Amino acid sequence: MSTTDGPTLVPDAQAAQDAVNRESASKKAGPFQRFGDRWNGLRRPQQWAFLLIVVALAYALPVLDIPILTTEPGNDWPITCFNMAIFALAAVGLNVVVGYAGLLDLGYVAFFAVGSYVAAMLTSPDSPFLHIPYLWTVPVAMAVTMFFGVLLGVPTLRLRGDYLAIVTLGFGEIVRILATIIPAMKGQVGFQNVGRPPGTAADGSPVFSNSNGTPWYWLALTIIIIVLLLVGNLERSRVGRAWVAIREDEDAAEIMGVPVFKYKVWAFAIGAAVGGLSGALFSGQIGFVNNQKFDVPTSILFLAAVVLGGAGNKVGAIIGGAIVAYIPLRFTAIADYKYLIFGLALVVLMLWRARGLLPARQRLLAYGRTAYQRVANRDSGPPTAVAAEEGDAK
Amino acid sequence: MTLLELKNVSVRYGRIEAIHDMSFSVEKGEIVSLIGANGAGKSTTMKTISGLLNPSSGTIHFDGEDITGLKAHLRVMRGISQAPEGRGVFPGMTVLENLDMGAFGRKDRSGMKADFDRVFSLFPRLAERRSQVGGTMSGGEQQMLAIGRALMSQPRLLLLDEPSMGLAPQFIKQIFSIITEINEQGTTVLLVEQNANQALARAHRAFVLETGSITHSGTGRELLANPAIKEAYLGVG
Repeated sequence: MSTTDGPTLVPDAQAAQDAVNRESASKKAGPFQRFGDRWNGLRRPQQWAFLLIVVALAYALPVLDIPILTTEPGNDWPITCFNMAIFALAAVGLNVVVGYAGLLDLGYVAFFAVGSYVAAMLTSPDSPFLHIPYLWTVPVAMAVTMFFGVLLGVPTLRLRGDYLAIVTLGFGEIVRILATIIPAMKGQVGFQNVGRPPGTAADGSPVFSNSNGTPWYWLALTIIIIVLLLVGNLERSRVGRAWVAIREDEDAAEIMGVPVFKYKVWAFAIGAAVGGLSGALFSGQIGFVNNQKFDVPTSILFLAAVVLGGAGNKVGAIIGGAIVAYIPLRFTAIADYKYLIFGLALVVLMLWRARGLLPARQRLLAYGRTAYQRVANRDSGPPTAVAAEEGDAK
Repeated sequence: MTLLELKNVSVRYGRIEAIHDMSFSVEKGEIVSLIGANGAGKSTTMKTISGLLNPSSGTIHFDGEDITGLKAHLRVMRGISQAPEGRGVFPGMTVLENLDMGAFGRKDRSGMKADFDRVFSLFPRLAERRSQVGGTMSGGEQQMLAIGRALMSQPRLLLLDEPSMGLAPQFIKQIFSIITEINEQGTTVLLVEQNANQALARAHRAFVLETGSITHSGTGRELLANPAIKEAYLGVG
């Protein structure tokens, strides 16, 4: 028998659908939503062309030094750009954990710290350990933080929601305290002269010097682009779908055949590796690592970056990370009040756009459109109907 | 031939025993109903079979294999699929994405077309709404989606937890007709229900659950005719 000879649509459903239509109509008013719609309406080559321009502008950012945007004379502009890139990279990593898999991690700075310390301890002359070239420490830092991610994830990822948040909060503090009490990690004294990538300029000074942020920024930006491509691929793969399913309903995901625990550990490990990468870059540019920078508020700032940008949206995470790093450096007069300002900004944002600047739902639908076309054409139903819908959408 | 067999299964939530020493079996090709009031242990039984809960004692066999300690996602591969209570559709995914998730564990992507077609012919409404997001659909549609999604893994045993919950009377009849149709296509069905009337009328065999134990068993018709059950579950005295 068919369901169409039943009642047409229960009143509830009609009301719900009306509400959705109203909501989507009102949402279109927002500038970001309009941008998103226009973006999805563009053809592939147009999207690529637009992306190329954005990337070119991003690379030119430290050189351009636009008068209104610049943080000088208070803070060096290229170094500000680098800090924005570091925060953006960390936010991309945390977004995998919080945004995709829906795991609330309040101790993300721990992975950032582990990455920083790995780079420092393997390159600084203050360290008694084996020394390797700086660039080699980057993959090592990623591997070590990934290991720490698994180490933390395996016992804790059976916990849910609030419990997980508390345990990760604790982990963040443990790493900082260990850095203080373990003699080899040198507490507040820290490690000086952390290594840098090779290369000398014409005048014999190193290209990647601590005072010149531009090459560091370009390196960080290149790494962000590579990470974005990798994360984007994961997002569109089976793994990404499993993460979204886990975020939406963990039990339902499990009975769909998703090995929930395994994918949660993967999300944690990948997020940790990106955090470690970000930390390794950070310590290289600063040239100095001690236990002072890896406190709870930094974890919260990372999380604020993800939420601000729109949890589950990697582009949103980049924007969120850049904003969180930029504001206190640009407005130095109010830098002391940055937590107050971020707090207020987040409250306002939650009232105004509860899903962040670039909401993930939009991304999911965009993902849906392509996946759906593929699934529909290959695996289901009359493909012509879908093709017609696609045509209407454009 | 026995497809599913529970032997002396007990399940505890901390110190509370939700199911006590329960034994029953489901034969291949049957529709079996478990009926009972709130808190009788119906959903606990389903979650124990699908693997979301682990029994504190007893064994569960599926198609001759002991699956007692097996993880839920591995039971899906063995052929046990559940449409959870409260429907559990992924609210942010479209109908197609939800159905696609149902086939997550499958290797043969090429064979999926037939299953999409099957689900869409059982539930034409889902075909109409294939691009709608799950969370915005009506209760009845979400129930259809949950059942359709459970079918995407080509289950040998379909577990339905309260398929009629919160539905309008016309929808309830439809859902049960579709359940019968799924069964006639060769899928064994185990369902739990508070709506005893339909559940018993459609079932080959049925069990009555009271505070964690089976108190009555028989064919659906026998239980429908039983005066004690009539009084307790069918609202006629």
